[in-house]
Amino acid sequence: MTPLLSVESLRVAYGSPAGERRAVDDVSFSINPGEIVALVGESGSGKSSVGLATMGILPDNARVGPGSAIRFEGRDLLTLPEPAMRDLRGRRMAMVFQDPAAALNPVMRVGDQVAEVALVHGERDKRKARDTAIDMLTRVGLPDAATQFRAWPHELSGGMRQRVMLAIALLLKPALVIADEPTSALDVTIQAQVLRLLVELQREFGMAVLFITHDLGVVAETCDRALVMQRGRLVESASVDALFHAPQHPYTRELLAAMPRLDRAP
Amino acid sequence: MNPSASLVSVRDLRVVHQRAGFGPVRHVVAVDGISFDIARGDTLALVGESGSGKTSAARALLRLIETAGGSISYDGIDLLALRGEQLRVHRKRMQVVFQDPYSSLNPRHSVGMIVGEGLVVHGLAHGADVEQRVVQLLEEVGLGADDLQRLPRELSGGQRQRVAIARALAVDPEFLVLDEAVSALDVTTQAQVLALIARLRDSRKLTCLFIAHNLAVVQQVATNIAVMYRGRIVEQAPAAQLFAQPSHAYTRALLDAVPAGDPRQRRIRTPTAAT
Repeated sequence: MTPLLSVESLRVAYGSPAGERRAVDDVSFSINPGEIVALVGESGSGKSSVGLATMGILPDNARVGPGSAIRFEGRDLLTLPEPAMRDLRGRRMAMVFQDPAAALNPVMRVGDQVAEVALVHGERDKRKARDTAIDMLTRVGLPDAATQFRAWPHELSGGMRQRVMLAIALLLKPALVIADEPTSALDVTIQAQVLRLLVELQREFGMAVLFITHDLGVVAETCDRALVMQRGRLVESASVDALFHAPQHPYTRELLAAMPRLDRAP
Repeated sequence: MNPSASLVSVRDLRVVHQRAGFGPVRHVVAVDGISFDIARGDTLALVGESGSGKTSAARALLRLIETAGGSISYDGIDLLALRGEQLRVHRKRMQVVFQDPYSSLNPRHSVGMIVGEGLVVHGLAHGADVEQRVVQLLEEVGLGADDLQRLPRELSGGQRQRVAIARALAVDPEFLVLDEAVSALDVTTQAQVLALIARLRDSRKLTCLFIAHNLAVVQQVATNIAVMYRGRIVEQAPAAQLFAQPSHAYTRALLDAVPAGDPRQRRIRTPTAAT
C-alpha cells in the first residue's frame, strides 16, 4: 500500500534571541490510508511540531532543516507553495486542536464557521453550504443542529465545542485528520464520548488519523499503531498491542509504568 | 467512624458564587450541602468533574472563600468563627498545594525566598536558621541547596510543584490540601510527585484532602473517596470499596470512562466494531 503520509528525516528548530532550540530531530514515519496512528510524548517532546509542520502552520520563528520531506498524496508539502497548501487544508487534511475555545472564532456563529469550510473550498451556494454544515453538526451529535447552528462558541460546553471542531475538520471528508490532544482538556466522561465519536466517524469516512497525545490510556483505546517521541526523536514505533505488551525502548517502559491505571479487581 | 478521631468535620457546607455580568447578578450554588469527616492520618479524595464544586469546597475549608451555610469543625475548633489573628495563627496548621505552580509561585522570588517566607511570617526561624531550614525542606522534596537562588521559570513543572510542596511543609502543618496538585504534570513526573506526596504523608503523619478529577490517580493515595456531582456528594466510601463496588450510577460512569490502559481491553474502539 502506498502510504498516505510519509514524513522523512524531519527536523524543526525554533529560533530565539538565546539561540536555536531543536524541537524535532530526524523523525521519519508513514501513515497508511484509514489508519489511526498515535504520536505519543510528554511536553517538549516535539510531537506537536510534527503536526504543525505537516499542516504547514509552524510559527514564524520555526525553521525546517534541509533534507526534510513530508510527502502527502504524492506531493512534498514542504516545497508546496502556500496557495496549494491552502487548497489542501480543510479539503484533504484537517486539524483538531486541544482547546476548541481558542481555536473557534468567538465572534462568529458556530454554524457559519462550519459552513465557511465549504465556501472557502469552492461551494458557491450559501444555502447548500449551510445545509451541509447542519448535516455534519447533526452527525457529530450537536443536539438540534438547525437551531444550534446560530449559537456562539461561548454558549456551548467544552465537549460540544470540540464536536463543532470535528464538524469543521470532517466537513469535506479529508483523507487525513491531525488531532492534537483533542480530548485532553475535557472531563473524563466527555472525553470518552468524544473519542467514541471520533472512532465512529473514522470508521464511517475512512480517513487516516494522526493522534497526537500524552495519554497512553487514550492510545490503547483508539489507535492501530503508536510512535513514541522523546526530546525531538522518535524512540519507538510499534503496533499498539506490541507497544503495551512488549515495549522495546526504556522510555516507553517508563511511560507505561507511570500511566495511572485503575485497579478494579474486587 | 469515631468522631473524636476526626481532624476535620464538615456538615451541610454550602458555597454560593455571585456571577456579575450583563443583566442581573446570578447566584450559582457551587456546593450544595455536603458533609464529610477526615480522620487523623487519613487521605480523603474529593473527586468530580469540572463544575462539580470540589475546588469550591476545598477553598471554603481553607477559609479562602466565604461559605453560605453549614459548619466546619477542625480539631474541635469552629473554623468558621475564627477571625483576624486567631485565623492567621490557625492557617499554619493547614496548607495547600495548587494545580499550577507557575501561577502560585511569585515569579520574581527565588526558591529560597518562596520556601522561607512562611518560616519568617510565622516566626518559626530567624537569621541564618532560615536558610538552613529551607535547605532541609528542599532536600525533603528531592531538591537541594543548589536550587536556593533559582527562579520559578528556571525550574521544570515537576520541580516547581516540589517547591510548592516544600513551601506548604515549611510551617510544619498537620493538614494538607492538594488541589489537583499533579494534574498538570507529565505522566512520568506525575508518578514521581505522587510517590513523594505519599512518602511525605507517611513520614510527617499528615492528614490530606486530595482534590482530583481522575479516579486512577486517586486510587494510589486515598483512604476514602467522596464523589461530587453538581455540588453534592453522591457517594462516599473507603477507597477499596468504591473501586470494587461503586453504588452510584455517576461513580460507575466515572470509572467506566477511565481508559483501561490495555489495547486488549478496549471499550471505545472495540475489535468487533472495527471492521
